[in-house]
Amino acid sequence: MGKLFTLTYPTAAVLLAIRQGHRYGFDVMDATGLPDGTVYPILRRLERRGVLEGAWEEAEKARSENRPPRRYYRLTPLGEASMEEVLQRFPVLVKVFGEPGTETA
Amino acid sequence: MTLPGLRVIEVAARIVPSRRRDEWRREWEGETAYAWQRMNRRGPPPVLSRARLRLRVLTCIIDALLEKKEEVRMSGFPNDLRYAVRGLMRSPGFALVAILTLALGIGANTAVFTLVDGVLIRPLPFEEPGQLLSIRHSGREGRDALPMSDGLYLLYQREVSSLESIALYRSTEMNMVAGDAPERVQGQVVTPSFFDVLRAQPVMGRSFLPEESQPGAEEVTILSDGLWKRAFGSDPAILGKTVDLNGRLTRIVGVMPPAFGYPNRDPQFWVPYTVDPAQAYLASFRAAGIARMAPGASVEGVLGELQSLIRRLDELFPESGDPAFLASVGLRARVQPLNEVLVGDVSTILWVLLGTVGFVLLIACANVANLLLVRAETRQRELALRLAMGAGRMEIIRFFMSESVVLAACGGALGAMSSSWAIGVSRLFIPVGFPRMAEVGVDLRVLAFTGLISLACAVFFGLFPLVRYGTRELASTLKDGGGWGATGSRARHRLRNALVVVQVAMALVLLVGAGLMFRSFQALRALDPGYDVDGVVTARVSVPSAEIQDPAETAEFWRQLRLRLEGQTGVVSVGMAQRAPLNGAIAFTTVSLADQPRGPDDQDIFAHWMSVNPGYLETLRIGIREGRALAAGDGAAGTRAVVVSESFARHWWPDSSPIGRQVGGDPENGEDWWEIVGVAADVHHLSLEDAPEEMIYYPPTIGPTESPGSVRTMDVLIRTAGSPIQFVPVLRRELQALNPRIPISNPRTMQEVLDLAMAPTSFTMTMLGAASGIALLLGLVGIYGVISYVVSQRTREIGVRMAMGATSPAVRRMVVQQGLALVVAGVILGLAGAGALSSVMASLLFGVSAMDPVTYGGVSLALIAVSTMASWIPALRAAGVDPSRALRED
Repeated sequence: MGKLFTLTYPTAAVLLAIRQGHRYGFDVMDATGLPDGTVYPILRRLERRGVLEGAWEEAEKARSENRPPRRYYRLTPLGEASMEEVLQRFPVLVKVFGEPGTETA
Repeated sequence: MTLPGLRVIEVAARIVPSRRRDEWRREWEGETAYAWQRMNRRGPPPVLSRARLRLRVLTCIIDALLEKKEEVRMSGFPNDLRYAVRGLMRSPGFALVAILTLALGIGANTAVFTLVDGVLIRPLPFEEPGQLLSIRHSGREGRDALPMSDGLYLLYQREVSSLESIALYRSTEMNMVAGDAPERVQGQVVTPSFFDVLRAQPVMGRSFLPEESQPGAEEVTILSDGLWKRAFGSDPAILGKTVDLNGRLTRIVGVMPPAFGYPNRDPQFWVPYTVDPAQAYLASFRAAGIARMAPGASVEGVLGELQSLIRRLDELFPESGDPAFLASVGLRARVQPLNEVLVGDVSTILWVLLGTVGFVLLIACANVANLLLVRAETRQRELALRLAMGAGRMEIIRFFMSESVVLAACGGALGAMSSSWAIGVSRLFIPVGFPRMAEVGVDLRVLAFTGLISLACAVFFGLFPLVRYGTRELASTLKDGGGWGATGSRARHRLRNALVVVQVAMALVLLVGAGLMFRSFQALRALDPGYDVDGVVTARVSVPSAEIQDPAETAEFWRQLRLRLEGQTGVVSVGMAQRAPLNGAIAFTTVSLADQPRGPDDQDIFAHWMSVNPGYLETLRIGIREGRALAAGDGAAGTRAVVVSESFARHWWPDSSPIGRQVGGDPENGEDWWEIVGVAADVHHLSLEDAPEEMIYYPPTIGPTESPGSVRTMDVLIRTAGSPIQFVPVLRRELQALNPRIPISNPRTMQEVLDLAMAPTSFTMTMLGAASGIALLLGLVGIYGVISYVVSQRTREIGVRMAMGATSPAVRRMVVQQGLALVVAGVILGLAGAGALSSVMASLLFGVSAMDPVTYGGVSLALIAVSTMASWIPALRAAGVDPSRALRED
């Protein structure tokens, strides 16, 4: 399998953050501490590569909170598969974001 | 309080490709709104938090820009190209015309650029070619070309510090016997330093050793790759073997690599140039000089050093009389970069040609631009649709550009393919001796050039519809409810009209250029060279001293050959001369006149001279103006008779007859005088363009310098009653019968020789003629297209006019007048342009001024005439409009 993306530190951080449940763009910025301007370009690229997929939150929920709906990102099966490399190459990050499965709500 | 940064998102969203724009905006708004809401949960947020949010929102610009970039990179342009290809395939007629037009323009440019690149731009195929120089001299303010002498060579080699090395070379022809038949082979006599100057090494063996250029050294030679392969079957053990050159056994010491050669790749072998310090005369200019500059030296520096040496010649050589002679002719050194000398006059021809095909390309582009303008009008609906779907400015630019790019790419590819064919064809017209032709070929640089001009074309004509249909303007027009008003239509026409005017102007410039070349060619044709070439064949015969040593025997050989040839049926007369006209350089020397002695301060008398046999003037039908021609026995039997040319006679005896007067080479040194027995008509001997030379014809056995050796190389000329070329085998056969080891070289009819002398002019004329023919054709297509279009747009108006009583002839006149107005404007513009540009061509012209009114006038009239015809066809269509139908339309 050819490489889907070059796994840099920011990319790995974004992926881990999403797996931890920081699924919205601004949340990813807050969780990773990456410069604000870098996060969306990474999200867009990963989405185009099919590692992430974006979706809109339920309109009902947004309306109840009297705000427009937000767009969130989640890992595709392809993205799940590529997590292994992330964990292998950036073990330090894993410590920061915690082990998989310990999602923070 | 409103959402912070909303405005930024709105602005940035415009950058985002329309396809993604809405979602993109909602995403950023969603995030911002959410963050803002959270921030306000516990009362108004602190200033710092607000500022942080604003900054974060500001980064949406980065996101938007990257989205845009991605769009362009990924789906955008290739998609547009695919779309453009589909669109073009739907209108194959338009695509075909546009592509062919472009292929013509691009192909011609590629072909000529290939020549320009190979001949002018590409550095010479030697190491550090910028350091190579040609070293020559001139005398009498540049009137005499004096190459290099042995004496000056030795002096420069010893004294000039700004030269790393210097070499002499001279071309030669030798009789080579490698198999059964003798063969005349071209070669060069070179000093051993020749290979050092050019930094060339043999692939096998070695170059010459310094001692091999000393008198009495062993005979050695270096072979060219071609000769080694052809005559020696690529013998790998060739070194050390001998070959018979001019009857002497010569040892082969080296073989050069395939592409080696200077000034061209004609020399087949090299032999050492013997420089005898004891006989190295300063004033015997018998070789060409090349040199390599020392690192850090400049052309001016070398020239300065040579000039200061020349000024000191008399103190350096106090014993010799040469310095005084050289001072009397005002000897000056001429130092030039080698590539400039090699290319010489050809550069003007090539630059003019490149300019010409550049014009052709511009005209082709103008035509395509015109076609695209028409097409853009038919594509309004499509454009409107795109605008309605939210296409931005960039998308509209791409919409127009993609089609141009596809057209230019196809045109470029076709042009590149056809250019190699065009080069092949133009090689047929390229005169013999055109420099560096062996190096010319299509390569990556040429292809890069083609790519570049194709791209330039695409941008150029792709921009026209854009200028016309600025997106904003178009959008507003569409909002107005469509329908182009009268003013809009006029603006549209103005652009197309301007294109046609420029096309006509450029076509006129080219036609003037071609016309001037044609007139030059006519003038050359009409020029009387002074001899009659009809029915005359010529070939060069050389008698090596190893074959016949004795001068008297050599003279006898020539006499026998003449008698044998004269005895053949069909032979009218036989002439022999050291050089037939237009067949190479002839000797040039100072002469003395018995009745006009020169004082020490007087300018010397110079004349060209050569030895000819008695039948020479008769064979070429060179008229005798006074006295008689040379006769058998002149010279040989002690009758010291010469014939001088009319211009020489007129120059020195303007008011009296030269018959009976005496001329001499060097009477002070004991040479006897020669008596003038006749005056021959002037002859263009060296070139057709220059004035006829002042000539002295000597009888064959002895020249003016009383050299004991007889003339060994003669151009034999045979005037025949039938087809001249059939007499070449006869000459060969008779020569074989006399001495089987003496070959002939370069057999040609004199007509061929004459044609060759006109070749540069006829080549330039043919090329300019072809280019301007294409330009004219394209220009006419342009005029036709515009007038046709105007007629189709004005059908309704014409209908009204005819309904109101306008007659068919009146309508025709109206349409033709409209075309004529454009043409006349173009002609006026073109005349101004041609006047400004034709001075570039002045050096290529002969017998016609660069401002020749006949050419300018004739070409203008012709252009107006054919252009009128081009608008005649649409005029006929206009006159055939049926008013009732025209009025019902639209």
